Amino acid sequence: MDETFVIVGAGLAGGGAGATLRREGFNGRVILIGAEPQPPYERPPLSKEYLRGEFSFEGALVQPPDFYDENDIETRFGVRATRVDATEKVVELDGSEHVAYDKLLIATGGRNRRLPIPGLGLKGIYDLRTAADSDRIRAEIAPGRKAVVVGMGFIGSEVAASLRQMGVEVVVLDRNRVPLSRVRGEDVGRVIEGIHRDHSTTMIFEDRVATFEGAGRVERVTTVRRRSIECDFVVVGLGTEPVTDLLAGTGAEIHNGVVVDEYLRTGVEGIYAAGDVANHYHPVFERKIRVEHWQNALKQGPAAARNMLNKDEPYDEIPWFWSDQYEHNLQYAGFHTEWDELVVRGSMEERNFVAFYRKDKRVLAAVAVNRGKDLRRSMPLIKAQEPVDAAKLCDLEVDLRSLASVAGTR
Amino acid sequence: MAEFVAVSRVDDLGEGDIRAFDVLGTKIAVANVDGTFYAFDDTCTHMACSLAGGDLEETTVICPCHGSEFDITSGGVLQGPAREPVETYETRVEGGDLEVRS
Repeated sequence: MDETFVIVGAGLAGGGAGATLRREGFNGRVILIGAEPQPPYERPPLSKEYLRGEFSFEGALVQPPDFYDENDIETRFGVRATRVDATEKVVELDGSEHVAYDKLLIATGGRNRRLPIPGLGLKGIYDLRTAADSDRIRAEIAPGRKAVVVGMGFIGSEVAASLRQMGVEVVVLDRNRVPLSRVRGEDVGRVIEGIHRDHSTTMIFEDRVATFEGAGRVERVTTVRRRSIECDFVVVGLGTEPVTDLLAGTGAEIHNGVVVDEYLRTGVEGIYAAGDVANHYHPVFERKIRVEHWQNALKQGPAAARNMLNKDEPYDEIPWFWSDQYEHNLQYAGFHTEWDELVVRGSMEERNFVAFYRKDKRVLAAVAVNRGKDLRRSMPLIKAQEPVDAAKLCDLEVDLRSLASVAGTR
Repeated sequence: MAEFVAVSRVDDLGEGDIRAFDVLGTKIAVANVDGTFYAFDDTCTHMACSLAGGDLEETTVICPCHGSEFDITSGGVLQGPAREPVETYETRVEGGDLEVRS
């Protein structure tokens, strides 16, 4: 009797897992279930090239549309998995239909965080997660229109840049002192702030939305510091939360996402998780981390699929992502929540640097602006987790790869 | 058939080096892998970054902006986000000159 592997979540992680099961020669049934009507697609363009109309939706598809039929992957798109019964080993769809599984991958990703702000239900207020969201925002874009972007994390920053590039007047509102400061630090945040300032974005920091106001449709945003900002539309980017509801009652541990080990297994026999939703134990950082970025979804879906086929491969990829804003390319690798020293190689003023977040002389993570080659060369240093000389990190004459090989052979 | 065009003295592109040249209006990157020269489009098919600004790992070039990887012997994509291959070109060494047929 052939086994049935069910994948819930048809994003980059889920789609990649399905393809990997077939590539690795799995002969049983593969059922890919996704809440969105489209086949798996990549989300990075949604705040950038796709939002600006430079990129077709087809260009963002993970696989050509007929790939799933050709590879005998049964698809259920536009269907929400509502509950898992781990005893009966069935997934409930839209509260009625049941699909039996032998192994189950949860790749449900995240949903946008929605704060209970008065007026949030007015027309003209958007957030961004899906292609449909990006389409709705694009329909508002026209030169001279006024937008308020709430939150200057990566999505807010990228959307603000895209809107400016399309001629929209943009006011950004963020509760912190600089963009991205919560995790990236104020020095790096100021570089990003400068880039946006150069493009005439109005940025308001250390303030937050009190109300959205308007007659049926948003006309202004008021803030707790008593500002009132007139606008034609609003984009809210206040982060996401993992979609874990369907696992309630299964016994799988839910804590900042679905908790899995380095093999991407939950504590419940036969249930795995990957992508934005997976709070996975990372052997390099020796702790659980949850990563909401493209590369994690790209690599972790297939890794989970291989482990569903009993390959027993620990997942130890160094998290990495990029953010393009205007002509600038920002990249980050590693994982850090705190650091005791920021070592800068290159020049923050010239917006050409890589900054290393060091703790106890080890490089936990690095962020680069317009210095991607060095960022990539930092990854072995991060993986090695051994002390590195700060003077050598800063010295532009020193090839970072030489430090990594020293660290790696010790 | 296009002609070979000299782009550099062969000694100016050391082992492990990769550099972009303008060859009759096309940006072409040439890499020296253990004394063998490989020529390919410098412009990444994903977002048009210069591949010569990236690193080589044997015969793989890694885009410095978004990490796409191309096999420079064939131009094929080894790792996204790029989906389309880059063009590759013939090279030869003539009288100490490195030449590319565009």
